[in-house]
Amino acid sequence: MIEIPLAVYLLFLAPLAALAVGFFVTRPLKPEWTHIPILASCVVVTCSAASLAGMVYEGRGLDGTLFYWMVAGDWSVPFGVRIDGVGVSVLSMVSLVGALIHVYAAGYMKGEPGFARFFLVFHLFYLSMIGLLVSNNYVQFYLFWELVGVCSYFLIGYWMHKETARRAAMQAFLTLRVADFGLMLAVLVILGLYRNTRFAALYAVAGALPAGLLALLGVLFVWAAAGKSALFPLYFWLPDAMEGPTPVSALMHAATMVTAGIFLLVRSWPFISLVPGLPEFIAVVGAATAIFAALLAASQTDLKRILAYSTVSHLGLMAFGLGLRHVGAGVFHLVTHGFFKAVLFLCAGILAHAAHKSTVTVSEVGGLWRKMPLTFVCFTAAALSLAGFPFTAGFYSKDAILDAAFAHGGWAVAAGLAIAAGSAFYIFRMLFLTFFGSRADQQTMEHPHEAPPVMAVPVAFLALGAIGVGWLGHGLMRMLLSGWPPSVPPPGLTEPSHAVSAAALMAAALGAGAAYWTTMRLPSWDWDWRRERPALAALFAEDLGWRRVPAACVSSAVWFADKVGRVLDHDSWDAAIEGSAGACRRVSEAGGRLATGSISDSLWWVMTGAAALLAWAGYR
Amino acid sequence: MSALIWAVSGLLFFLGLAAVVLRRQLLAVFLGMELMVVAAALALGHEATRAAAGAEGFVAVLLVLAVAAAEAVVGLTLVLRVHWSGRPAEADSLRELRG
Repeated sequence: MIEIPLAVYLLFLAPLAALAVGFFVTRPLKPEWTHIPILASCVVVTCSAASLAGMVYEGRGLDGTLFYWMVAGDWSVPFGVRIDGVGVSVLSMVSLVGALIHVYAAGYMKGEPGFARFFLVFHLFYLSMIGLLVSNNYVQFYLFWELVGVCSYFLIGYWMHKETARRAAMQAFLTLRVADFGLMLAVLVILGLYRNTRFAALYAVAGALPAGLLALLGVLFVWAAAGKSALFPLYFWLPDAMEGPTPVSALMHAATMVTAGIFLLVRSWPFISLVPGLPEFIAVVGAATAIFAALLAASQTDLKRILAYSTVSHLGLMAFGLGLRHVGAGVFHLVTHGFFKAVLFLCAGILAHAAHKSTVTVSEVGGLWRKMPLTFVCFTAAALSLAGFPFTAGFYSKDAILDAAFAHGGWAVAAGLAIAAGSAFYIFRMLFLTFFGSRADQQTMEHPHEAPPVMAVPVAFLALGAIGVGWLGHGLMRMLLSGWPPSVPPPGLTEPSHAVSAAALMAAALGAGAAYWTTMRLPSWDWDWRRERPALAALFAEDLGWRRVPAACVSSAVWFADKVGRVLDHDSWDAAIEGSAGACRRVSEAGGRLATGSISDSLWWVMTGAAALLAWAGYR
Repeated sequence: MSALIWAVSGLLFFLGLAAVVLRRQLLAVFLGMELMVVAAALALGHEATRAAAGAEGFVAVLLVLAVAAAEAVVGLTLVLRVHWSGRPAEADSLRELRG
């Protein structure tokens, strides 16, 4: 029996207690205080995560069962925890970023009618995400995977009086269902074949699995991850998910929930890496997603949608890193991305909050750097980090991935540099348009005001993280080694060569320069191309036509289901039921006609029967 | 002798049968039934007189007659009930079992 430290229990008990207090005590009595127990729980969870991170850093990870969840016959599902490098490195980021965003949300959501509802679901998400990261088996993982999806649905549709929010919530939920189905199939296959879904046990047998089964599992995992992490074919729900409040976008649809797919890939890496061609496939999908989304991010005008496409792009970049078999680089970028993307979203939220709207477009703001200096500084720090400016967090993690691309060579180099240039372009375009904006006709906000401290302080802390977490890269790699499956080469950061850094920096500088040129030197170019080429603008508005594809898929599936329903259900099944019922009715009506109720008829039948019996007896 | 008794018995049975299936009045149908029972009892009583047979045949005949008497009570009561219900006491007036 492994000794489970208190911190592990606190990871679950603190949020559960906070949710119970919030739901049963503060929500009915004092809804505007709902955040108090929840913020306390965030502090406890963050401290617990930090202590676990310390344990893992010293190589004392653990994998133990808390209790048995389901037991039936020869199979069982434990409810356990796996405190290993992969889980805890993401857990530390999620708990810290999540806690800061909770603080921010307390300011951002103040005075909203659904304040208690928001905080309870938000914290349920936090609990679920943490549960997902420390799960030690696939069934438990699937439970939390679905829980984060449900919380996402609730929070995207938080402003349920808005038609667009309801539609976006439904779209996200249904798209995630498509992805979850892949994970469910994978879990069922594992459960059916091995009666045991514990990661530790499965890692040990990964090498001995038949190739076909491995390929099936690998494809199912990639399918699931593609939906959750908004990779190429299934990414379209994420930009629409920006209908939710900004803290939701920052925490769930940028920093944490969408990275669950990447996390699944890392968790399942012992299987995926054994399937020939699958990692390369992930790399190609990731690169395509990253470039495609970067292009779209550069064409958006809504601040949150720019950032949403940027998130899609960076999720693609993480998948790219993973697919090039540099798992450590992918996880590293996941962690740094959590920080700088959270800052960017929260700054967009501060702007929207100042404008008293749920979101703003780049045409509504401009020249804000004087009026909102703190927001400007934080945003710039995060933007530099995203673009990979030297010595910021994004610089280290992106260079790690680019290093992998250079090691792979060929198309990967071109893709990596294109992503670097594209990221720099769209984020600097956003920065220039929002905070400088030399356009004369640009309307500016009435009374821009800096955020209240409850919102500004968390953003400032996160911005420090966006600058600084990159320096922890080697510590992170050391953490990742704990509990690393032995069948996979251990993660590590090679020191990116100066050539790689220089190339990345050149690409980023090129992107930033282009952004400067198009927004500051040619101030109205960004608007003019939209006005002059409406067809092109419309094409970009529907994601280069890709948005039509899922819509067409859904409508043709509905058409097909309608046909199938007509043929199978109406024409065959209903016809069989109604036909047999009709036949029964006709037979019984015919039989009923014999039963005249007249005694003499009955007697005749008795006579006939007796005669027949006698005849039969005589014949025998 | 035996043949004659069997013939009488058979004649009585078929007369009863004819009355049951051909006549419409309930009373006549009932009479036919009793006739069939008595015909069967006659044949049984005749066979019981054989030397090898014991007394069981006569006992059975007595039992059949007793049952027929009891049956007459029930049957006549039914016929009276039909009569009192205002319907003609005929077989065709009873159609409650019509399907």
